[in-house]
Amino acid sequence: MKINQTINKSPQFRVLSEDQIEQIYFSALEVMERTGGVVYHEGALELFKNSDALVEGNRVRIPITMVEEALKSYPRKITLKGRNGKRSLFLEKDMVSFGTGSDLPFTLDMNTGERRNTTYKDVSDASKLVDALSNFDFHMSHGIVTDAPNPQTYDRHQFMAMLENCTKPMVVTSVDGEGLEDLWKMGCLIQGGEHEFRLNPMFVVYIEPISPLKNDSTAVEKLLFAAEKRIPAMYTPCPSSGATAPATIAGMLVQSLAETLLAIVMCHLKNPGMPLIMGGVTTLLDMRKSTYSYGAPELSLASAANTDISKWLNLIMFSTGGCTDAKILDEQAASEQMMNLFYSYLSGANLIHDVGYIDHGTTASLESLVLNQEMIGMVKQFGKGINTDDEHLALDLIEKQGPGGEYVTTDHTFKYWKEWFMPQLQDRSDYETWVKNGSKTMGQRLKERTQHLLDTYQPEPLDEKLRKELKKICEDADKRHM
Amino acid sequence: MSSDLGKISDALTKGNVDELKEVVQQALDNDAVPADLLNKGLLPGMEAVGQKWKNGEMFMPEVLRCAKAMSGAMDILRPRLAKEDLGSAGKMVIGTVSGDLHDIGKDLAAMMFEGAGYEVVNIGIDQPNEKFVEAAKEHKPTLLGMSALLTTTMPRMGEVINSLKEAGIRDQMAVIIGGAPVTQEFAEEIGADIYAPNAGSAVDLAREYFESKA
Ligand code: B12
Repeated sequence: MKINQTINKSPQFRVLSEDQIEQIYFSALEVMERTGGVVYHEGALELFKNSDALVEGNRVRIPITMVEEALKSYPRKITLKGRNGKRSLFLEKDMVSFGTGSDLPFTLDMNTGERRNTTYKDVSDASKLVDALSNFDFHMSHGIVTDAPNPQTYDRHQFMAMLENCTKPMVVTSVDGEGLEDLWKMGCLIQGGEHEFRLNPMFVVYIEPISPLKNDSTAVEKLLFAAEKRIPAMYTPCPSSGATAPATIAGMLVQSLAETLLAIVMCHLKNPGMPLIMGGVTTLLDMRKSTYSYGAPELSLASAANTDISKWLNLIMFSTGGCTDAKILDEQAASEQMMNLFYSYLSGANLIHDVGYIDHGTTASLESLVLNQEMIGMVKQFGKGINTDDEHLALDLIEKQGPGGEYVTTDHTFKYWKEWFMPQLQDRSDYETWVKNGSKTMGQRLKERTQHLLDTYQPEPLDEKLRKELKKICEDADKRHM
Repeated sequence: MSSDLGKISDALTKGNVDELKEVVQQALDNDAVPADLLNKGLLPGMEAVGQKWKNGEMFMPEVLRCAKAMSGAMDILRPRLAKEDLGSAGKMVIGTVSGDLHDIGKDLAAMMFEGAGYEVVNIGIDQPNEKFVEAAKEHKPTLLGMSALLTTTMPRMGEVINSLKEAGIRDQMAVIIGGAPVTQEFAEEIGADIYAPNAGSAVDLAREYFESKA
């Protein structure tokens, strides 16, 4: 028997060394004491005033001891259970899951090829696809319901469109604290009560600070409500390097960590132990086109580094992948989506969102979701790593088949080829077969597959009584906002 | 005089903020004609910068440094200029509409207009409709800019335009709008004069608009 062996069950990947992570963390602590942040919410300012923090107007500076104390109180694991009743999403170190992003104002219409406003129907269709596609583990709305009765209540209707068509755990967005309260009530109805929701949350709520170092009243209102009710939440900075954060990735990571730490302290003051998740869409402002890039390699690099930091801090990480700046689902889309999908996966981020985004976070595409289903499959295959036990080293087999032998008909092949990745849409046929089958491009195959899923897939319907109760919450909200 | 202009255009196109202020001040101290400094020094300089930007030879940080230099120089020059001297480079009020906190796109647009010689009053984010109207009354801009990044806040832009009409001042200024979910179609629907898909093209689009009206 051998000793001193290390077996890599999966490939190993990290961007930052421990010393680099410490450099970034200690720098962020320096920002907390020296620069602080601004908070535009009376209740939160009151919490800080009653603590050791220094509050001057809206400016809050926080002593390091408070930060380090607060950091200890966050869960290292959160488990989500969708309305299908399965505890399916285990958010813990290096456990990766994939899901869509939210609120895209435009949709690239599958039939006309034109960009138009996103509707309830589009969100329903995306939800259905996410339910059907096995590589999607959680669901965000993808599009935004722009045809809701009232923009102030669109979030409830959007959640309804998601719930009716998808049974998986979700990440939701809300208009304000009141909106979040309604979504949470809906969530509690589904899980069977407040305590049940706490034990088996069905969603995480997505909230953002304003880079650099600003916290607006609506975001804080949502965050404090989440803390109070212990709703899992992410407070995810969206800095654009060179515009709302330093142009260096290190500087951007320091700033966005400081933004996270401020929320860490704020939630701790409100309700210690609330399930807060670290986040970040850390990318750059393109200096030729002045757009916030969803396809830049720097997005992948900064996001993977951010995940390294989250693991060191024992925080669950919400990251970004499967997204692109390309206007349509073309070669640029595939290459950019594949790159940020791949590295976010390798980094071990827990919730990888924005999968399927095109047009730098403004446009939805159903076919893009189906393309990512295939690409996630490839990426996960890479993650399986290489088994080097005796069976897999196959010495006896090599000896048995000998020089000039064949492997196609052996028991070993019969057993192990099934471990390979099986493409569903990629074409590996010979040229003549491809021509015979209609010389179809990937785009055409994607369209057919997407249409097929929309036509045939039936998500498990919502219980009719429950559906009515949920609908009532939406309608009551509409009445309040008439 | 021409050596002053050379220094001005040099400091401007290099984006040297403090140096440009100094050379403009010096030229004024040497009795240069303020309108010449603008029309023969600064504006051609920014024209060249704009051209390089369009050709992809200059990038956002460089262009905005030049715009910052331009804006600093204009602060010194403006009090010395007659209204006619300012030409198309008028006054702008710009802000992000109520309920909307996205500011960077609006700020980039504001800087671009400063670069073109505009006097820009940036009223900030999350500004109620009344604030736009008040600012328009107070500053009497030639151009009113609004930014919205959310489908939920886009309707505020149409409301502001209606309020301007009600206040009887709509025709005293051109309205330009922008933001990721905004489209040309939407701009026409709410009766805005100009839609700019990005900050880089906004100044040109405004110039074309004013030329078509002249
Ligand atoms: C960064 C960002 C944020 C940051 C903003 C930080 C900041 N300091 O500005 C933060 C994190 C705060 C944020 C918050 C939210 N955001 Co946001 N955000 C973005 C993101 C990713 C990029 C915006 C950006 O900075 N772009 C770069 C700048 C330079 O571009 P730009 O703003 O479009 O401006 C350019 C042009 O449009 C034009 N322009 C813009 N304005 C004007 C005005 C004039 C007069 C002119 C001439 C030109 C012009 O010139 C600029 C330069 O070329 C966009 C996605 C996107 N790609 O647009 C989402 C996006 C706009 N946000 C979105 C959402 C949903 C939100 C939130 C509601 C999320 C939530 N649920 O909490 C909140 C809302 C907060 C609020 N009340 O406003 C949605 C919009 C959905 C919708 N309703 O339509 C988007 C599309 C992303 C998404 N799919 O979720 N966001």
